[in-house]
Amino acid sequence: MDAGDARGYRVALIADELVNPAARGIDGLAALESAGWGAIQLPSGDYPDEVAAPLLDLVAEQTEEFTRHGYTVAVIGRRAGLDEALAAYGVSGLPSIEPRSTAALTRFLAQTAGSDPERPL
Amino acid sequence: MPGVAFVAHCLLNQNSKCSGGARCPGVYAPLVAALRERGWQIQQMPCPELAFTGLNRFWAVREQLDTSAYRRHCRRLAKGVAGAIEVHVRAGEDVVLIGLEGSPSMGVHITSSDPERGGRPEWPDGADELSPGSGIFIDELSAELAERGVEMPRATGITHQLPDHHGPGELESIVAILEG
Repeated sequence: MDAGDARGYRVALIADELVNPAARGIDGLAALESAGWGAIQLPSGDYPDEVAAPLLDLVAEQTEEFTRHGYTVAVIGRRAGLDEALAAYGVSGLPSIEPRSTAALTRFLAQTAGSDPERPL
Repeated sequence: MPGVAFVAHCLLNQNSKCSGGARCPGVYAPLVAALRERGWQIQQMPCPELAFTGLNRFWAVREQLDTSAYRRHCRRLAKGVAGAIEVHVRAGEDVVLIGLEGSPSMGVHITSSDPERGGRPEWPDGADELSPGSGIFIDELSAELAERGVEMPRATGITHQLPDHHGPGELESIVAILEG
């Protein structure tokens, strides 16, 4: 990896309601930014199935590329159909959390991140 | 009234960049702050290059990616994104698109072009590859929306990978798009 590259090697599949939180909701995107994680946003639960299904497939396809290269990948929040979409690409068993507070999410990110974010691919 | 901003994948996930391209560990905070402060929702688009040429891809210009296979791939992604855009547009919500200037795939006003580039991946430092135009995914998204009878959203691009990047100027561009 290029020495000037700032990536964190950590990627979270994150529910839409944590990217676009309601007032007083958990700001998952802010937590990821603070902890040095990237985000793959899951389709909104408001989307009809025919819109969400292809988006979930794209999420899974991209996730497989990160897991195959040894990036730390986790799931934050819940999205119906995600497990099936990931399984279609051979991805399962990702660490996950449905956070009840920002503090719980922050702890999870720290525990899941491991200690060596600069590992080579 | 705030609406929904469809943003390039890498703006929420710099891990998707090719080697040397990540400007921060993950989330590009200036964009998120600009959108949040103005009440805009965020929707992330997929990265066209990540799933096609992978994490170990070389930097590329538009001509290297502009094949029938890559356009089919981009159209597949564009169908997914256009479906989501259509949901918001049909609901009467304002939609904008924020890409990545200089990208062969996600450029909005500036892409990368060099018809001669190919073979062993070496070229002079400072090679002038930036050129006016949009990226291949943006082309395909525009075409897909047109087929659905949905107007292409107002669009701009983040400039942080351009040599003349200027943070305040980038923010002005974002705000101008949001304010229509």
